[in-house]
Amino acid sequence: MKPAITKKRAIRRSPGERALAVAVYLILGLFSLSTLYPFVNIIAKAFSGYTPNVTGAVVLWPVEFQTGTFMRVLTNPQFFTSFWVSVRVTVLGTGLSLFFSSLAGYVLSRERLKGRSFLTACFVFTMMFSGGMIPNYILVRSLHMLDTLWSLFLPNVINVYNMLIIKTAFEGTPPALEESAKVDGASNLRIFLSIMFPMIAPSVAAVSLFLAVGYWNEYWSAILYITKNGLKPIQLYLLDVVNYASDPLSGTESTFAFQDAPEGIKAATIIVATLPILALYPFVQKYFVKGVMIGSVKE
Amino acid sequence: MKAPNPNRTWLAIRRDWDLYLMLLVPMCLLALFKYVPMGGLVMAFQDYDIFGGFFESPMVGLKNFQELFSAREFLSVLWNTLCISWYKILFFFPVPILVALMLNEITCSWYKRTVQTIVYMPHFLSWVVVAGLAFDMLSSTGAVNRMLGLVGCKPVNFLMDASKFQPIVVLSAIWKEAGYSAIVYLAAISAIDPALYEAAVMDGAGKLKQMLYITLPGIVPTIVMMLLLRVGTVMDGNVEQIMAMYNPTVYETGDVIGTYIYRMGLGNMRYSFAAAAGLFNSVVSFTLVFFSNLASRKLVHRSLW
Repeated sequence: MKPAITKKRAIRRSPGERALAVAVYLILGLFSLSTLYPFVNIIAKAFSGYTPNVTGAVVLWPVEFQTGTFMRVLTNPQFFTSFWVSVRVTVLGTGLSLFFSSLAGYVLSRERLKGRSFLTACFVFTMMFSGGMIPNYILVRSLHMLDTLWSLFLPNVINVYNMLIIKTAFEGTPPALEESAKVDGASNLRIFLSIMFPMIAPSVAAVSLFLAVGYWNEYWSAILYITKNGLKPIQLYLLDVVNYASDPLSGTESTFAFQDAPEGIKAATIIVATLPILALYPFVQKYFVKGVMIGSVKE
Repeated sequence: MKAPNPNRTWLAIRRDWDLYLMLLVPMCLLALFKYVPMGGLVMAFQDYDIFGGFFESPMVGLKNFQELFSAREFLSVLWNTLCISWYKILFFFPVPILVALMLNEITCSWYKRTVQTIVYMPHFLSWVVVAGLAFDMLSSTGAVNRMLGLVGCKPVNFLMDASKFQPIVVLSAIWKEAGYSAIVYLAAISAIDPALYEAAVMDGAGKLKQMLYITLPGIVPTIVMMLLLRVGTVMDGNVEQIMAMYNPTVYETGDVIGTYIYRMGLGNMRYSFAAAAGLFNSVVSFTLVFFSNLASRKLVHRSLW
C-alpha cells in the first residue's frame, strides 16, 4: 500500500527522534525476520539428511543435502490423491461461490428491488447466527452428502461476506449504463452478464482469490464430513503428517518408509501444500487491501 | 406520504421478474444450508435419534441444558474459551495498532513494502501449516529451545505442557494475523488530513508528538470499533486453530467450546447434548455481536451493518 500522505521531512531531527526511527526500523525488521525464519528453517529441513533432522542440527541451510525426502513426499499416493481433492474443491467451490455471490450481490444492489432490505437482512443474519456444527452435520448426512466431494464446498457456497463485497462494487457502477441497456431492450440477466459483471472485474478478481485461498486452506468441513482417505483434502492430510511428525509412534501416517526423518517429511509436505498459495500471493496482495476495507465496514 | 399502491408494486415485480429469478438459486441455497440447520436446533430439546430423525425423536424439554450446565467439563471448556479470547484481546489486539503506527513512521519505501509483504503473508496460510511451523519451532530440538539452551536454560516440553498451551495459541495467532490486521489501521491513518501534520510541524512538534497527538487520536474510532467487534467474538475460540494445535495432554487448558461440541457430538454421538452446547454458544455469540455492533454504532458511528 502506498502512503497516501506525503509528510514534509523535518529539517532537523533531534537525537531522540533519530533513536525512535532506528528503533522502529529495528523492531519491524525483527518482526519480519521472525515471520520468515520458520519458512527458511522448514525449507532447510526438507532437504536435510536423516541424522541432522532428528538431532535438530538444521538451522538456516540444509545439512547433508538430499532431495530424496522431497521426491518421496511428492510421489506419495495419498499426497497425490489429497492434492487432487483440494484442486477440485478449490476450482468448483470458487466458481460456484463466485457465481452465486455475484448473482445475489447484483440483485440486492438494485435499489428498485422490492423487499431489498429484508432480503439483504436474510443474508446478513446468517453471519451472526448459525445452527452450529451438529445441525449442519445432520443436514449434510440427511442429504447423503457425507463422504462426497460436495460436502467440502456446497454447505459454504453462499459466502455472505464476499457477497457484500460484490454488492458494494455493483452499487458503485453508474446507473446510466443499466438504463441505456434497458432502453435497448436487454433483459436483466443479459445486462448482468455482459455489461455489469465485466464492470466490477477488479472486485471479482479480489473475491475469487480470497475464495480460492479459503477453499484451499479449509479443513474443518473435511474433519466433520469426510472419513474416506480418497476424499481427504490436502490440509487434512497435512494435519495427519504433522501429528505423525510430533508423535511418530501414533501410527496415523504409515505410508512413509523409515528412511526419512519425520521432521523432513513434515517440512516437505508443508512446502508442497503451501506452494499454490505462495504462487497466488503476489496477485492476492494487490487486491487484499480493497477486500479488507470494502464490505467490512459501513460508516 | 401516500401508501404504496399494491398495483404498482405488483407491476414493478412483474417488470423485473427475471431479477427475482436470478435471486432464486442463491436464496434456496441460503435457506437450505443456513436456515434449515437453525430449524435443526430443535434437536437440542429432544433426545435425538439419528435413525428416527426430528419427527420421531422424543421431546425432553431442557434436559440437555441441565446436563450441560452441570457437566464440570463444559464449565471448564467455557472458561478456556473465555480465557483464550481474553488473552487475545490483551496481547494480540494492540500488536496490529503498533505495527501500523511503526509502518507509518517508515520513510524508506522499499523497506516499508518489504516488511508489509512479509508480515501480511502468514494470513494466507492455513492453521494446519501454522501449527506445523509452530511445532517445528517449539519441539525439543526447535529454535526456541536452542535459544533457551544458549542462555543456559533446560529444554522445555512446550507441546505437552497444559500450562503453556494458551500462550502458544495467542503467540501463533499474533504471528499469523497481527501483520494483516494492521491494514485496517493503516487505511485509517491514510485518511487523516495531512494539513494536521503540517500544522503540527509548524508548531514544532516532533515525530513522536505527531504520532501521539495526531495519528493515534485519528485512528481511535477504528480502534474502538475493532475492539468492540472482537468482544463480540469471544465465544468463537477459533476452533480451526485449536483443532490443529491441541492434543489430549493439553485438553485441560486447550479444549474450547467448538472442539468440545465436536468431540461430544461426532465423537461420542451425543447429538442432542452437543447441539444444546451449540445453541447456547450461538445465542450468546449473537447477543454479544448484536450489542457490540450497536455500541460501535453509538460510540464511533461505524458498524458492520
